[in-house]
Amino acid sequence: MATDADAGPIRSTQLEPYPTDFTSWKFLAWMGPVFLAAFFGLWGVLAGNIPPFPPSASAEEVWQNYHDHRLAIMIGMTVCLSLTACYMAWGVAISQVMQRIEGPNGIWSKVEMMGATITCAPIMTACAIWATAAHEIDSITPQTAHMLYWFGWLLIDLAYLVTSFKIAGCSIVFMRDRRAKKLVPDAVSWWGWVTVASFFVVNAIPFVTTGPLAFNGVISFWIAFFTWFFWIPSMSYFIIKAVDRIKAEDAADGRRID
Amino acid sequence: MTLLRERATWVWIGLMMATCVTTWGLSKDAFNPTVAVVGIFLIAALKVRFVILDFMELRHAPVPVRMAFEVWVVAVAVIILGFWFATIAPG
Amino acid sequence: MDGVWVFIGADSVIFAILFLTFMQDRHADAAVFEASRQTLNADLGGLDTLILLTSSWLVALAVQAVKRDELNRAPRYLLGGVLTGLMFVASKSTEYGQKFAVGITPATDPFYMWYFTLTGIHLAHVLLGTGLLTFAWRRSRQRRFDSGNRAVLECVASFWHLVDLLWIVLFPLLYLMRMAS
Repeated sequence: MATDADAGPIRSTQLEPYPTDFTSWKFLAWMGPVFLAAFFGLWGVLAGNIPPFPPSASAEEVWQNYHDHRLAIMIGMTVCLSLTACYMAWGVAISQVMQRIEGPNGIWSKVEMMGATITCAPIMTACAIWATAAHEIDSITPQTAHMLYWFGWLLIDLAYLVTSFKIAGCSIVFMRDRRAKKLVPDAVSWWGWVTVASFFVVNAIPFVTTGPLAFNGVISFWIAFFTWFFWIPSMSYFIIKAVDRIKAEDAADGRRID
Repeated sequence: MTLLRERATWVWIGLMMATCVTTWGLSKDAFNPTVAVVGIFLIAALKVRFVILDFMELRHAPVPVRMAFEVWVVAVAVIILGFWFATIAPG
Repeated sequence: MDGVWVFIGADSVIFAILFLTFMQDRHADAAVFEASRQTLNADLGGLDTLILLTSSWLVALAVQAVKRDELNRAPRYLLGGVLTGLMFVASKSTEYGQKFAVGITPATDPFYMWYFTLTGIHLAHVLLGTGLLTFAWRRSRQRRFDSGNRAVLECVASFWHLVDLLWIVLFPLLYLMRMAS
């Protein structure tokens, strides 16, 4: 199977004669850890989604939970909603590194960019739904609170395949890297496959409220989310380093470094 | 028989026999539950260890890799048996 | 291909977490777990174990044959691995069919939720592994593995042994673990 990668790493002499903006590239690469900190700290801890309020809870219990934690949920969800854009920015930095392996017109780098961007959509929308429930809690019925709570979870969980596509794209491309020392090591790519595999099971969440498959269960929550939480910093670390390595490669090729 | 010259064949025969002992022997009511369950899981741990060392061929792998899998076997056995002893029958 | 050990290691740790959570839930609901466990068919579970052990052995023999460049033997062993993998799928389908026929589903009780979840995830591993073995069998028929080129075959084999060893724990965990008296 002939691929772009078979031609070896893409060197700067094959690229257009424009200088590369390494400073912006590195800034964007740092947006991965920023996203993770925001999502974990604001969506997860402050707004009380780690661990999730149980799916088996009655409408009255859900309403009471929003009522009791109204301010924390509003702050957590609205600030996380804004900072979720960092995931898109980070995806662009990863995509750009992938192009130095599969070529400037490589197909998986496009999947990475679109996948990271569309991953933001369900997260932002779910945050807005939960923020609305908290904001309006004193004027809505328990049934409406329960509906909004489930709406958020169904959206944020079942949109997983968008993220699966982009993680698979990263694993495929970085495993094809022909450099003696790969930009992203195989261990991270294989962790990506673990993450992709762990997502599928969340398809069960609409049908259960207790046990391992419920949206607060060991598989659908703890394993599916935490494999991803581990993938993000692992990938960020090597993307940030890859920017420096590519800069050194370009310098060795005698290309102008700005 | 060339097959009998393979270590894997002898390991396989041992694993098959161990499975018969647990499935159609130890699990029967003739044994008291503690003997049966402890026996069944120690045999299972031993079977897993043989699969790791001889089928996966980690017997000659670097020590850290081999240790990681050995620790996994012990940890799983301790978790299962620990919880089992902690779970007392009602009544 | 050393990175495949990250996948195998992570999968093992995930299953260890599942065993732990299963035992926790069993602890909270011991009588229900024991009553439902007794309705499982341990003979079929034991047979499944024998099938997977045999399958694992055949695949180990294939790797040994390739190491010695006995390239005629490897495809036969790998085909044996594929067929035993399919036997496991057939056996599990029969077992699920028997459960559904008497109205048992994942919604029956917490034990059966765990039973279908754990065996279902394991069955997904078996299906993936059987597919990978089929791929390896075809490649070995084309003489594309030999003693100097066997990394892909060894990755597939290692995954298949993982599928085997997970079942070695799952079988007694679900079918044989009687309650303490």
